Order: sequence, then C-alpha cells, then structure tokens
Amino acid sequence: MLIYALKRLGVALLVFVSISIIGFVLLRASGDPAIALAGEGASQQDVEYVRQHYGFNRPIYIQYVDWAKRALTGDLGDSIYLRQPVSQVIAERAPTTLLLGALSLCFALILAIPMGVLAALYPNSYIDRTALTIAVVGQALPTFFFSLLLIVIFGVWLHWLPIAGNSSWKNFIMPSIALGYYATPAIMRLTRAGMIEVLSSDYIRTARAKGLRRSTVLFKHALRNAVIPVVSLAAVQLGFMLGGSVIIESIFSLNGLGNLAWQTIRRSDFEVMQAVVLTIASFYILLTYLADLLNAFLDPRIRTS
Amino acid sequence: MLKKLIIGLSAASFALSIHSGIAMADKADSSLTWATTREIPAAIPYYENVREMTIIGMNVWDGLLYRNPKTFEYEPLLAESYKWADNKTLEFKIRKGVKFHDGTNLGPDDVVATYNHVAAEDSGVLTRRNVSWIDHAEKVNDDTVLVHLKETFPSALEFVATVLPILPASIWDTAKVGAQGKPDYATIKPIGSGPYKITGFTPGVSVVMEKFADYWKGSPKGSPTIKKVTYRTVSDPEAQIAEVLSGSVDLIWDVSREKAEQIDQASLAKVVSSATMRINYINMDRAGRTGKGKENPFFDKRVRQAVAHAINRDLIAKELVGGASAKIHSACFPTQFGCTEDVIKYEFNPEKAKKMLADAGYPNGFTTDIYAYRDRPVTEAVMGYLAEVGIKTNLKYMQYKAFRENVWNDTAGFHEGTWGSYSVNDVSASTSAFFKGGRDDYCQDDEIKSWLETGDTSVDPAARKAAYKKALSKIASEACWLPMFAYSRYYVFNKDLDFTPAPDGFAEFYATKWK
Amino acid sequence: MVSIPPKTTNTDFVPASPMSQKLSRVLNHKSITIGGGILIVMILMAILAPFIAPHDPFSQNLTKRFLDPVWYPKGTWEHPLGTDSFGRDYLSRMIFGARASLLIGFSAMLISGLIGTTLGVLAGYFGGRVDMVITFIITTRLAIPVILVALVVVALAGNSLSIVIWVLGFLIWDRFAVVMRSATQQIRALDYVTAAQAIGCSTLRIIFSEILPNITNALIVIATLEVAHAILLEAALSFLGLGVQPPTPSWGLMVSEGKGMMFFKAWVIAIPGIALFLLVLSINLLGDGIRDVTAPENRN
Repeated sequence: MLIYALKRLGVALLVFVSISIIGFVLLRASGDPAIALAGEGASQQDVEYVRQHYGFNRPIYIQYVDWAKRALTGDLGDSIYLRQPVSQVIAERAPTTLLLGALSLCFALILAIPMGVLAALYPNSYIDRTALTIAVVGQALPTFFFSLLLIVIFGVWLHWLPIAGNSSWKNFIMPSIALGYYATPAIMRLTRAGMIEVLSSDYIRTARAKGLRRSTVLFKHALRNAVIPVVSLAAVQLGFMLGGSVIIESIFSLNGLGNLAWQTIRRSDFEVMQAVVLTIASFYILLTYLADLLNAFLDPRIRTS
Repeated sequence: MLKKLIIGLSAASFALSIHSGIAMADKADSSLTWATTREIPAAIPYYENVREMTIIGMNVWDGLLYRNPKTFEYEPLLAESYKWADNKTLEFKIRKGVKFHDGTNLGPDDVVATYNHVAAEDSGVLTRRNVSWIDHAEKVNDDTVLVHLKETFPSALEFVATVLPILPASIWDTAKVGAQGKPDYATIKPIGSGPYKITGFTPGVSVVMEKFADYWKGSPKGSPTIKKVTYRTVSDPEAQIAEVLSGSVDLIWDVSREKAEQIDQASLAKVVSSATMRINYINMDRAGRTGKGKENPFFDKRVRQAVAHAINRDLIAKELVGGASAKIHSACFPTQFGCTEDVIKYEFNPEKAKKMLADAGYPNGFTTDIYAYRDRPVTEAVMGYLAEVGIKTNLKYMQYKAFRENVWNDTAGFHEGTWGSYSVNDVSASTSAFFKGGRDDYCQDDEIKSWLETGDTSVDPAARKAAYKKALSKIASEACWLPMFAYSRYYVFNKDLDFTPAPDGFAEFYATKWK
Repeated sequence: MVSIPPKTTNTDFVPASPMSQKLSRVLNHKSITIGGGILIVMILMAILAPFIAPHDPFSQNLTKRFLDPVWYPKGTWEHPLGTDSFGRDYLSRMIFGARASLLIGFSAMLISGLIGTTLGVLAGYFGGRVDMVITFIITTRLAIPVILVALVVVALAGNSLSIVIWVLGFLIWDRFAVVMRSATQQIRALDYVTAAQAIGCSTLRIIFSEILPNITNALIVIATLEVAHAILLEAALSFLGLGVQPPTPSWGLMVSEGKGMMFFKAWVIAIPGIALFLLVLSINLLGDGIRDVTAPENRN
C-alpha cells in the first residue's frame, strides 16, 4: 500500500510540475510582462528598468526555475491590478469556490445515489425511466442556461432565494444546484450499473438465500461494493466542477476563484491568471490522488496491478 | 403574458416586503449601498480617473472651491475667499479649523504641496489636462496661498472647483515603490477632509465611506445624514437590478432604457432619467499613429466621413439610450462654454457612405478592430450600421483601464469612448483634452492645437469663443472624431431613498437621505 | 481478416434478461431515430440557412427592438420568433446560429478525435514505456481546467472562429484517448493479432487493417458524444463573451445577449437555450443508441 501511495504521489507531483510549466509558458507567451508591470503611461526607460530588475530578459527556463523557487516559498508574485500579493488574493477567494464545489457535490450525490439505487432495484420501470430522463436532461442542458432559468424562476418570480453575492448560505443554494446537476447523470448511471451488477452477483444471492433482511443486504453489502467506483468518479467530478465554476460564479456573482479567473482574464492580470489555473489544477490532482488511495484501500486488487 | 408577468412580479413584491430584511437594514442603520459595473482599481484622486472614483472624490475630499450643482456658481469651500491677483495669479484665503480624516489640521502648506505635486511634469497624474495649466503654488503667509498659472487660463476656477482636491502634504511620502523603481502614487493612503472618510477599500470590489464626525461646520456640502456609504462593483447588469429589487443595493445607474422602462412600468423601484454631461464619441486615427497605409484605413478623410454618414445617431440616441439623449455634432458637450453646434453636420446616409468608401479605394469595405469599454449595446449597434456599408468590425470590449492603455499605446486606433469632462462646464475640459496633442489625440493637427491654445488662454470671452469655433469646425470637417450623442442616464433606486441626481452627474451622498 | 466486435468499455451495460433485451433494442431504436432525426433537421437547417431564413440575420432596425414572438398578443408573422435587442429577426438568427454550433462542434471533434485516437492507439498497441508516457500526458490533460484554459488562450490569442475550434480541439481529446487505448489493448491481446505479427506484418499495417476497423464502433460513439461536448463548450465560451463574436449569431451568444431582458421577456433566452438543449440531447441520444446497438450482447 505504501509503495503504491508513493508511486501515485510521484505521478501527482510530476503532473503538478507539468501544469505549472504549461501555465508559465502561457503567461510569457501572452505578452511582454515588462510592459504590463511597468504600468500605464510608462516610458521606454521605465519598461527597460522593469525588464532588467525583474530579469525578464533572461532565457525562459531560467525564469521558470526562479519562479518555481519563489513559488515553493509561497510567493506567487503580485497582482498588477489589485496591488496585492497573489497568494493573498487566492487565499481570499479559494474558500468560496471550495464551498461551492463541496455543496455541489453533495447535491449531486444526494440526488444521484438514491436515484441510481432505486433505478437498479426496479430496472426498466418508470422509476428507472424517470431517473434516466433526469440524467439525459442533465447532460444536455447547458449549465449557464440552467442557471439563468433557476434565477428567473426561484430568484425573481418566486423570490425565494438571493441571486448575487456571497453574503449568506442561501446564496449558495442555486449555484450548487446548477453546478451539481451536471455531475448527477454520470454518478447516477454508475451507481445504477454498479448496483445492478452487484445485486445479480453470487455473493448477494447467497446473502439473500441466507435470509438476511432486504435492507441489510442492500446497504451493508450491495451498496458498499457498488460505491467503490463512484468514489473515484465523485472525486473526478469535483475536480471538474472546480474548473467549471467560472461560469456559475460569474452568473451568480460569487467571489471565488472562478470569478477571479474571469476578472483577471479581462484585466490582463497575468500573474494571477497563472496562479488560479495552477490552484484549481492542484485541487484536482489532490482529489484524484486521494480517490486513488481510497480505491486502493477498498479494493486490494488495484494495489498489486 | 403581461398578466402573468404582473402577477409574478406582484407576488415578488409582496414577498419582497416580507423578506425585505436587508432593505430595512440599510435604511434602519442609515447606510446606503450603490453599485455600478465599473471597477475601481485605486481609491485615490488624480491617479484613478474612472467616473466612480471622481464621485467618491467629491464626497471624501474638498477642494478650494465648491461649484453649486444647480446654479453652477462657485462657493467658498476650503478657501474662504478668492480673487484674481492678476491675469496669471489666483489668490486664496485658506479657511482655519479644518481637519483631515487622520486628525491633523489642514493649512496652506497642504494646499501648496498638493498643487505643486500634481502640477509637476513627472507626477504621473492620469489626466494631465486638469493640472497642466498650473505653474506652481506658494504660501504667502499663514492663511494665504498664491497659485501661479503658466498662461492666462480663464476656466481655471472650473478646475479648482471640481478636480483639484486637497491632500495632506505628507501623504505623498507614503507611496510604495512601484515596479519601475519609482513611487507608485496610486498606493498612498486615501486621506481627505471631506464629509466622508474612506474606511475600507478592496481594489476592483468595493469602497466603504463613513461619515466624518469632525467635518467643518458651515460647509456648502452640509453634513451627511447617511452614516455609511458602500460602493460595490457588480459587473452583471441583471444582478444589479436583482439586488436593487431585493434590497441589498439601494442605488444603481446606467440602466439600459428597456429595462428602466419595464421597472418603471411595474413600479418596482424609483426610476429617474437625468441629463449628464457625458458624451459618446468615435475616435478615428487621422494622425497615423496605428499606421499610414492599408493597415489604417481611417488615415483617409473620406473613410472617416463615410463612417460619419453610416451611423444613425438619432436612432441610437432615441431608441437605445433613451431619455433626453440626443445626437451631437461637435466635439464638446452642448452647454459647455465655447461649444457650438454650428459646424459641418453629417447626416445619416448609408449610400453616400458606401460611395465615399469606394472613392477611397474600398469598394468592398474593409475589416477593422473596434475598441470600447462601456455601453456595449451602443457599440454593437454601431457595428451593425458599419457592417451595412461594408465595414466589418471585430469588437474588443474591455474594462476601462485596459482600454485606456490600448488607446495610449497606439493599439486602439478605432475606438468608441465617452467623456464626462469631470463635469467641468468649459470646452477646455473636453475638446482641449483630446485635440491638443497628447496620448488621447489621434487627430494631431497643428492648427487645431493652436486655436485651442488661444481659446484656453485668452481672457476675452468673445475671443475664446471665436477660437474654439474655428477648432471645432476643423475637427468636424476633418472628421477626426465622430461625436455621437449626449448621454441621458437612468437611475434606479430604492423608493424610500430621497436622492436627486445632479445635472452635473455628481452623486452627492452628503445630501442624500432616507425618507 | 475477420472482424471481431470489440468489447466496449461502457459501464452502462446491463446484463439483461431476454425480455428486456428486446425492450432495450426497441428503446434504442427509438433513441437513434429520435436523436438522429432531430440532428438531421438541425443540420439541414444550418446548411439551407440562406434559403429558409426569412430575413438577413445581421440587418438591424433600432425601431423594432424586442418585438414579441407570434404567440403573444402583439406578435406578428413578420417576425415569428420576435426580434432581439437590435431589431434583428430572431428566427433568422436562430437558423443561422445552428451553423456556429454545428461547425465548431464537428470541427473540434475531428481535431480532438485525431489527436486522441492517435495517442490512444499508440498507447494501447505498444504498451510499456509508450503507454506510460501517453498515460501521463492524458493525466496531465485531465488535471487542466478546460474552460479556464480555453478562456485564457482565447483572451490572449483573439477569438476568431478558427482559434476557438483549435483550442477546443486541443483540449477535449482525453475521452478519445482513454477509450481508444483500452479498445486497442483488447484487440491487441487477441490471438490473430499476434499471429499477424508472427508472419511479419508491419506495425503500421496491423494498426490500419486489424486494429482500426475493430475500434471504429467505439470511435463513432465517442465522436458523437464529443460533438455534443464541444457544442456545449462553445456555447459557454460565447456566453461569456469569448467565443463567437457579435454580430455573428450563435445560440450561446444569443442567450448572453438576451440575459438583459430575462426578467421581463423570458423568451429571449428560452428560445436559444432550448435549441441548444435539443441539439445536444439529440446528439447524446444518437450516441447512446449507437453504443447500445453495437454492443455485442444485443446481437444474436
């Protein structure tokens, strides 16, 4: 188990480094950082000063190594626009996005798993058909359109929920539903398929034959086994949701990383852009790493393959 | 549908009155929240010229004089009295007993330090036009300051009263060093002496102002009733409306006409349409800053004039902007001293536009970028009209700061901008800001520059008007700019708010109350 | 060469009783017909747009802004779906808008399909080091937040149609790679492939004549699903303002343009939104249907 964990950790770190390189190259390719840093109305001399002082005239791999060294100490540079350290800007916004991601995943799981189980218990019934329809609709409905519909119906016509800002927990209800809905179909289908497979296995037939109560069979045995692949999928979906939060956050005016990314793109604040991409990628890497470990823990066969 | 809408909205209003915890909170604790789509990257006058900052500037800082928003007359503010010592020298008697927000006393030293700092060539002030007429200031004695002008400049008092707030003398030393190794004055502490003080600032997100208890008595600005004013950037116009309807924001403006009318019809909030001094214009590169060949079709006068004929400014003003908005023909705001509409007028004529383009060598039109930073629907309507005469445009829409940079570094030759002249009611604050050379001048004509110089510095009003008229006529005949329209703006606010939009566009929060 | 249907890697597979086998075949048949039907209608609409659109989608008329569609009391047949904020005919814009979605969807799918299939087949066929490297590349790509990077690249490089297509193409190849890899692995393990190698067939020949034909079914399924994926991404990009640029009609852009009036005239966003939904739905149904029909267990 330990060896497996270390091997996966190695891969995770390598992926992380690759993404930081990609982000860095993207940043430098976007324009002359000396001009951006020198500010408005800067003269040629000012720009040259910045270039020298910050070492933008050195080869790019040396610049990267320098950046990496600083980043390891937590210094991700400064935001040109906000005149604040990037790490501070990110630290201020990250909790909102993480909260949004967690709530969205909860919504997806609460909706998807019971539906998947029910659909598996009564395959091809109208419960199954309903679940399938919800899944199919979820995959085809564009997230931004769904968000707008939610806003119009629940925010304005019914006036039940606030639609902008992050002043209270109520502000997260609609965004979580909108974001979580996209992950629901995959989780539901996987749960359903897994449950069906497990339910028809010998192991379960034996348990039933032994006379165990239906609910015991269901929860103690079937679900626990069916849930294993769902864990991985959930982690992956959470990672995707964190990445896809930019649309939701900008529609609902939530002040998280996604919205920050969107704003910095419009403001051409490159240091922040790169840091946001890296941050979100690292969440994903962390999540999938933990999912891998959990999987390996639950299913010994994975460790030895 | 209408019936359903009304029922829906009534239900919403009913629910609103039950759920209006937030709305009541604002009124109950005497605070106010206003929002626009713009971001304020720095909360310092002189070093941030987005309009929202200028408004905050009026509330947080005092200048030497105060221009009455109704009569446009000058009243004493930090200066108890003033006079012209001679044509190029202003003498001010400085009021005693005024405190800055940090408790220190305001005196002639602070006035002198402010004026001298901003007037310096390398001060980095964003709108040089506002300060370039100042030569230097000097303290004569404990209550007198002399401001020496470089040339005679009759509209000096307009600027003194609107765009020259006084900061503490020592404040400039608090600037952090910027990337170029020089002090970045946008990082100084926002200390002023006005009715409000800034107690919170998150760049690009919000500014919080609170009533300054020691504001001097007897000020024409009065004493604020509302204790706390919060500015928030809400970049989504629909979110703005939703927040006003739900009470988390009390005041917004620049609401598009169709939305404002719907809100007004359904009585969801108070809607007021008010004139402003802002104009919208399209700038074209006559000077060749972006090139002198095929890469810059606007170098040819016929192309610029074709653009003028291609756009239906009447419809844009009437249908898109609405209210009292109307087309203008001159590169100035109609009420400004020296402004005249007696110049060549380009009427809407797409056929003529196409012919002129063909004459200039573009029978099938051409493709170009167009830059803009606000009122995107207007720009898109412009793009639609241009497309109909064959000019295809790629829209580059961005926040003001990025837009500004592109204009100044010769990238955005063809752009649509707006200018509020800082609400200074004189052509020297509009036309001269754009056509006397400098980063915003894409016309770069020596005759125009010299006529504007004459207009700015002559003492005789008739001579000023004559010179300005010559300049404006040539600007129009050369079609350097296409002046589009004068803005009328829709304010949407909480019905319980007693707020009167001023004709000069400044929101005076110290004069606003809850009912 | 015998063509052996590959074992699919889909997890939706239901080990079925004969009754539900018949049932699902019928349902799937419906999937394909409904999905395929809607899709064909949309494709025809896009191709024949200049002939069937009643007005020029670009011609604006500021005096006719936000006219209601024909089913409202004030609506007329002159503009059956009403007009937008610049007085342009909504029906015409909807018809032409299909072009952006379909063009970008299919083009991005082709590019990503090429990249992903190549990587997947190479990884699956050669295994070992090659597989390790390619799997690493896939893992890295999966860690990249797609929308963010697409936004950044488009913001930096400009938002012409081709840039959007290339960016999307270079970002969504992962599912191709993963599925083609495992499909290739399965074929690779079969006896007749080792036999072909033994008699000295060149690698290239084996790949093209043995492997590729047998993974085509899975490829088609993934291709259909990725068209839908690309369409949704393009719509999101256009909605945020960094995809298709005005005045070109695109359904995502039309939702964004209509957002201003959504409190008062919901049809402005509902119409393009529903169209997007139907298009993506039809493609997904088609893909699902193909997948079920080509699964060996449904064949006798």
